[in-house]
Amino acid sequence: MFNSDIILILTSTLIIIALSSMLLTKMQKIKQLQNEADELKRSLDGMDEQAKIIVRTDMELNRIQEELDKKISGLYALQGLSYAISMTLVEEEIFRRLSLEYLEKLGFEKTLVFLWDNERKNFTLKTAIGYTEEEINLINSHINANKNHCLNLIGEAKTLSSLSAPGNFITKNTLYNIFKANYFIFSPILPQQNNRGFLFVGTQNAETVITEGDEELIKILTTQLGQALENARLFEKTWNAQQELEKKVTERTRELTAALEEVRKLSKLKTNFVSSVSHELRTPLTSIKGYAAILLTGKLGAIPIEAKERLDKINRHSDELVHMVNDLLDISRIESGKVTMNLAPCDLKEIINKVDDLLSGQLKERKINLSVNIEPNASSVLIDRVQIERVFINLIGNAMKFTPAGGRISISNRKAGEMIQVDVSDTGCGIPLEAQEAIFEEFFRVDNPINQEVKGTGLGLALVKRIIETHQGKIWVKSKAGSGSTFSFTLQQG
Amino acid sequence: MQVGIGFSAESDHIKAAKEAVDNAMPGINKGKVDLAFLFSTIKFNHPLVLKTIAESLKNIPLLGLNTPAVMFNLGIYSNGLLVVLFSLPEGIYFNTACVKEVSTKTALASGEKLGEELLYGCQGVRRNLSIIFSDGCIADKQNIIFGLQEKIGRSFPMVGASTCGLNARTEKACLYFGSLALNDAVCGILFGDKLNFGLGIKHGWKPLGKPRKITRSSGNTINEIDDKAGVDLYQEYLAKNVSGLKKNLGRISTFYPLGIDITRKKEYLLRSLSSIEDDGSLVFNGDTPQGSTVRLMISSKESCLESTRQAAKLAKKSLGNQKPKLLLVFNSLARAILLGRQENMEIEIIKDVFGKDTPIAGVYTLTEQAPLSSAIYLGKSYFHNNSIAILAIAG
Repeated sequence: MFNSDIILILTSTLIIIALSSMLLTKMQKIKQLQNEADELKRSLDGMDEQAKIIVRTDMELNRIQEELDKKISGLYALQGLSYAISMTLVEEEIFRRLSLEYLEKLGFEKTLVFLWDNERKNFTLKTAIGYTEEEINLINSHINANKNHCLNLIGEAKTLSSLSAPGNFITKNTLYNIFKANYFIFSPILPQQNNRGFLFVGTQNAETVITEGDEELIKILTTQLGQALENARLFEKTWNAQQELEKKVTERTRELTAALEEVRKLSKLKTNFVSSVSHELRTPLTSIKGYAAILLTGKLGAIPIEAKERLDKINRHSDELVHMVNDLLDISRIESGKVTMNLAPCDLKEIINKVDDLLSGQLKERKINLSVNIEPNASSVLIDRVQIERVFINLIGNAMKFTPAGGRISISNRKAGEMIQVDVSDTGCGIPLEAQEAIFEEFFRVDNPINQEVKGTGLGLALVKRIIETHQGKIWVKSKAGSGSTFSFTLQQG
Repeated sequence: MQVGIGFSAESDHIKAAKEAVDNAMPGINKGKVDLAFLFSTIKFNHPLVLKTIAESLKNIPLLGLNTPAVMFNLGIYSNGLLVVLFSLPEGIYFNTACVKEVSTKTALASGEKLGEELLYGCQGVRRNLSIIFSDGCIADKQNIIFGLQEKIGRSFPMVGASTCGLNARTEKACLYFGSLALNDAVCGILFGDKLNFGLGIKHGWKPLGKPRKITRSSGNTINEIDDKAGVDLYQEYLAKNVSGLKKNLGRISTFYPLGIDITRKKEYLLRSLSSIEDDGSLVFNGDTPQGSTVRLMISSKESCLESTRQAAKLAKKSLGNQKPKLLLVFNSLARAILLGRQENMEIEIIKDVFGKDTPIAGVYTLTEQAPLSSAIYLGKSYFHNNSIAILAIAG
């Protein structure tokens, strides 16, 4: 019994020891696990703290990124706007090009542009984006009721905004109730000019944060706007001046056309007058010449020598007068288009030879040498032979008149483009420069000693010019006083 | 199926509507127009646009919504309207419906009503896809989906988008239904029978920091996280006081949504912050079930673009060998904000996956609707934030 009790006690003790040991081990394990859990919790808390740092840094980075994106988008919008408004020179179009699309990219959905009207002494609305008619009327009234305040603000040339404006600049109520915006930027346009104004941009977006960068962008925009307006006004000024000039030119042209028409009418009247007078003169002249001739024959009785001399003079002057009347009639006919040119291919050489035959006696008598140098490949011309013979007779006759004895007249030809050019040169006294244009006018005679001695009608070269022009050619002279003259004219190739 | 897409940015509403329809018509290849989608920026939210389209298309069913920008093959346009015309072959059925004045009834009842009306036109037809457009201002949008799926079933996917009301430009965003422009409404289309499509939805945000538990919430409002006011979480992470958080709400909403691990499979459903209440509660653009584990989420441009590629690949994979006739893209506006000047890259990625000539028509949204695991789409649809949903329709 004693032994069994001892065994029981020993066994119980052993069990208690074992259990205690196990409990101790368990407790140690629990403590270890608790330590590990505490460690994990500390790690998690540490990681959570790191997460907080990450989130705060990320938030700051996102804010910076947003601002950067906003600035880049704003710059692109500003570039687009600047390009759009600088590509027009019409003032109204400049304002039309301030579109919502660009302004929204700058972060504003409300835009107003007011310009000061110096004559009416009030502000005129040029653009309103994002407002109803009713809202526009309210804003217009508000601005003009405070026009002196607005003018002062413009005069200060400062860009103001929700960020920088002093507290008394605009009340929140006015901003929201009249301008329908929570945030705004106000920027003067051309503050130093007479036609000054301002740009107002606003947004209702409560999350908008106006920055100095935004102010800067809007300031650049108003500067661009001011420059575009200046350009448009300068252009308008230039355009108006040009229009005025064009109007004057048109008026002068009309006056000149009327004057030309008048001249034409007078010229026609003159031609008709000359023609009819010439016709009227020719009949009595023929009678005078006829009677003088009859008297000279002596059939009506002997004529005293003095009377015969006078009759000779009558006869000679009558011939001159007939010649002059014929020339005048020819000019009149050509001018009035009554002369039909019978154009046919002719050889210049043949014509000149014929004229040479005709004038050879006089040339010989005056000891003038006529030199003809005709290029065969430029000698065929399309002409009215009779008329061109008259041209040569006139030109050679003139040359003979002004070329002293021993002098020389030369005729040559050459191709001048599609035309044939003929030059008739002499070694005569020449024509002063100031008379070279006028010699082709009717009745003009160069004031020189020869003309004072030798009689002439002043119609020869006028007739020559009209004949050449009727052949679609041109005539001109090159001469130097004392060094001879060269008359050149062109004819169509034959 | 023939699909035509037409875009116009004409400032005149009538001209714009005509031009967009005219540009879409060649895609229909002289077929009969059965259905139209209209996606337009706010500027084109004008009765004349709808009237002109209705006259041009002879009053065919039309659905659509306003968006801050329209997305199509040529790029992203913050001014313009996009018309998508469908000519459907025999064997594809559809019915459109709309529930107005949602705020006068419960969202659940509105969803059920929409489901009933959609079913009414598809009796006896196997349903296989629904597309839903809703007003972004409706508070408990998730109950609309719940009510809708109660009626039309969960054996096929429901995809959709809600209008974006995040800023001044879009606060009057509305839905289009027939010749009506509506606010406070939800409208949808239910397709039946032989319509083939593929769907992909991804977001690209990654969890950061330790998991936390929503200890008190209701609907889309989280009152407490880990027994502390919901706002404490954002205060802790961003080291800002409440007024600082409120000032940066847009940025926080875009960049740091909460991720709810609904399926416990690390497929986080994003919830972007909508507002901060005076008692420190957080209001989100979507429901936030009590007891859920949430984590703060973070993304980068690269991760965002990679998720676009994954969504496109998923849609392509689920379509099989068929070539899509149209890619409908419902893209969160938050992604455009995150991508900034690289926003066009998403279109390039989609074109890279599907081929550059595959027609794309997309809108920017406040929330996107789609099943959670898009590859195996059977099941409940959810409201997503910051995600891109690509619906590839092959006809």
